[in-house]
Amino acid sequence: MDAKKAAVVAAVTDTVYRACLYLDEGNWEEFLNLCDKSMLYSIKAYSPEIRKHMIYLSHNKKELGSLTEMLPKLNSDHSPLRRHASIYTVDVSDDKKTATAVTSLAVYMNMHDGINSHIDSGETRLFLVGRYFDKFKISGDNASIIEREVRLDTRRLDKGTHLLI
Amino acid sequence: MPAKNHKQWKVPAFEQGDYVDSRIYSDQAIFDEEMEKIFKQVWIPVCHESEVPEAYDFRTTSIAKEPIIVVRGPDNEVRAFLNVCPHRGMRLERRTAGNFIEGQPSGNPKHMTCMFHAWQFDMKGNCVDIPRAKEGYQERLTKEDVGLRRLRCEVRFGGFIWVTLNDKVEQKLETWADGAFECIRSAIDTEPLEVFHYHKAIIDSNYKLWHDTNSEFYHDYMHYHNRVTGFNDEYFARTNKGFKNGHVNVNSFTVQYGEFELGESREDLSFPGFPPNQWYMIDLFPGMNFNLRGSALRCDIVTPLGPNQVMIEFRGLGLKSDSEKDRQTRIEHHNSIWGPFGRNLHEDLLGITGQGASMQTGSEPRRILHGRHENNLIHDEVGMRHFYTEWSKWMGRNPSDPMNEQNESLKGMAAE
Repeated sequence: MDAKKAAVVAAVTDTVYRACLYLDEGNWEEFLNLCDKSMLYSIKAYSPEIRKHMIYLSHNKKELGSLTEMLPKLNSDHSPLRRHASIYTVDVSDDKKTATAVTSLAVYMNMHDGINSHIDSGETRLFLVGRYFDKFKISGDNASIIEREVRLDTRRLDKGTHLLI
Repeated sequence: MPAKNHKQWKVPAFEQGDYVDSRIYSDQAIFDEEMEKIFKQVWIPVCHESEVPEAYDFRTTSIAKEPIIVVRGPDNEVRAFLNVCPHRGMRLERRTAGNFIEGQPSGNPKHMTCMFHAWQFDMKGNCVDIPRAKEGYQERLTKEDVGLRRLRCEVRFGGFIWVTLNDKVEQKLETWADGAFECIRSAIDTEPLEVFHYHKAIIDSNYKLWHDTNSEFYHDYMHYHNRVTGFNDEYFARTNKGFKNGHVNVNSFTVQYGEFELGESREDLSFPGFPPNQWYMIDLFPGMNFNLRGSALRCDIVTPLGPNQVMIEFRGLGLKSDSEKDRQTRIEHHNSIWGPFGRNLHEDLLGITGQGASMQTGSEPRRILHGRHENNLIHDEVGMRHFYTEWSKWMGRNPSDPMNEQNESLKGMAAE
């Protein structure tokens, strides 16, 4: 691997993992700072029940900003989500200006509310598994997310969530 | 203030019916009765015709713990059967959906095959092959003697597939619905609909608590989205209308989608004959909801799993003829509110989760109030009262006094 390509891979890796930390913390602003202004975000799943690909959520960067700013106005489960991510592949374009990455993802819910917080709080449950399919724009040492598709394997999401995955 | 127990607090001047006893949501015996007396007797929508669009397509489901399979035959007719092999009671088809055109390891193409002993059935439920039947059963049993248990099935009201376990159901589906769908009839029956969204939730709560939520709009205070897009004179003028058999619908108003930060008018995309940005709601006994709002139809189907557990299946539908762009728009509109990551659904499910946590089996019995009277207007809780009047008929129990304790107490006082 040439040095420039290795630098791109490192930049992509840094962005993916840093994004996980920001999302874990609910630091939406810093997460959005990792995204290009043209960024598109979606959560998708395939339903064997209706035999169709589905889009559970779809927003651009501006809409994601509105969505996250709105959170204090909504009644949400208070349990934070924690991501465990492993980057499987990073593919860099020949001109080193773009890259794609596939990341395996498990998201855990650290119970705060649960069903009965007196009993459930402190417990960690698996919330969902899936993958990030990301596309990046490379500028110098920086990899900005231009597209993130969260492709879920888990389709039984029970209460669901207002949080970004 | 001294502590008061639930008997010492002032009892509101409510008639029976304006409240229910919380044990109707938590008692195992009542739940078991509901399965026998209600769910095994009435029409239940189990899926949509667009989920079995081609010949030999199937979809599996269940009502009251009875496994069901819906298949579309080569004659294009949709039929429903118990998904149970008549041989040894094996669940016939294990997948949730698919197509029988391809053969399975134990069986031939275009047949339903029990993987266990390879008994095979056609799309009409006839048994067409029993391996080595003559050798094992001689003349005592032939394939003509057995077949799948067929269930009454109708495709109606926007193409939903309705099934009843009751062979002697008294009313056709149209009669059973008693006109509750008329308010959206042209919108959903002018041209075929198609499911574009499906997800399910299993919640530790009673199925009726979900139906209660769908039957009252007072909880719109919980939804930021609904407060900013509704809560005007037109919203508060909406009315609940009761129908026979416990069904209710709520008439429409013009939703101000633009008032929501992420809002987008639904003006350019609707359903046939359905004015833009409208919102009708139909609640069908004993726990189904049809919600036609703006550019998408949502349908909730409950499958009660226990007194304190329910599975809710959520479907989103548009027109089968949608362009790709229109379909995408409908999906975005639907899921921004009602998807698993939407603004409203999460809040609704938190609501019944909290109720479920406080009304577990053995919890202190308490009165759950259904007593708002506002001339049937939107925050009147008449929808729930209408439901429980019907529930009482089927169950032979008074939801305000399900264990007949108040009656017994009155008898005792009279005797004294």
